[in-house]
Amino acid sequence: MNAEPLLQRIARIFAEHRLEAVMVGNAAAALHGAPVTTLDIDFMFLKTTTNLKKLKAIAHSLQAVIFKPYYPVSDLFRVVNDDRGLQLDFMAKLHGIRSFEGLRRRATSVSFGEHELRVASLTDIIKSKRAAGRSRDLAVLEILEKALHEQEKLEN
Amino acid sequence: MNKKSSKTSRAQLNALKKESDRALIEQIRRLLALPMNKRTHFLRVRHPFGGSHL
Repeated sequence: MNAEPLLQRIARIFAEHRLEAVMVGNAAAALHGAPVTTLDIDFMFLKTTTNLKKLKAIAHSLQAVIFKPYYPVSDLFRVVNDDRGLQLDFMAKLHGIRSFEGLRRRATSVSFGEHELRVASLTDIIKSKRAAGRSRDLAVLEILEKALHEQEKLEN
Repeated sequence: MNKKSSKTSRAQLNALKKESDRALIEQIRRLLALPMNKRTHFLRVRHPFGGSHL
């Protein structure tokens, strides 16, 4: 399915609520040219009181609810609208990534409609998947590395 | 006979791997030719009773 209309909506809603989040995971890898698919869109954000309020407002705008599926061990906030098949995961911690600031600095801004989304670098996505070490992450590593290699060839 | 057939099968597997790698690189290059905001056909739709489709 084409995620463009959804990404435009997310970019607009993030801008309206001024939430700073960086797209990570397979959705971000796909935007970097890796032929991978996903059921959800993952973001890293700073877990502050203000941002949690913004997240609630964003969920409301998307007519979605927020779950904390692995409470209390994880810092994962899942925004879900089952009727629309929408699932956005917001993580305060990401394997292999030291700081949100660093991730944000290395990320690329991509325009969706009139707004932009920050997309983590493919190097950071690979690093986080390798550090997570789950079989589903390791399964796509070869594809992501090939995409990174092709991307670097184009840049040089 | 067995040795020969295992050699053939290894050669076939190698050829298959090579072709599959070539097709993957071609797919990546096609995607990289698009602007980032058009590489958006990645979202799977969840089925209510399990499974998903693109």
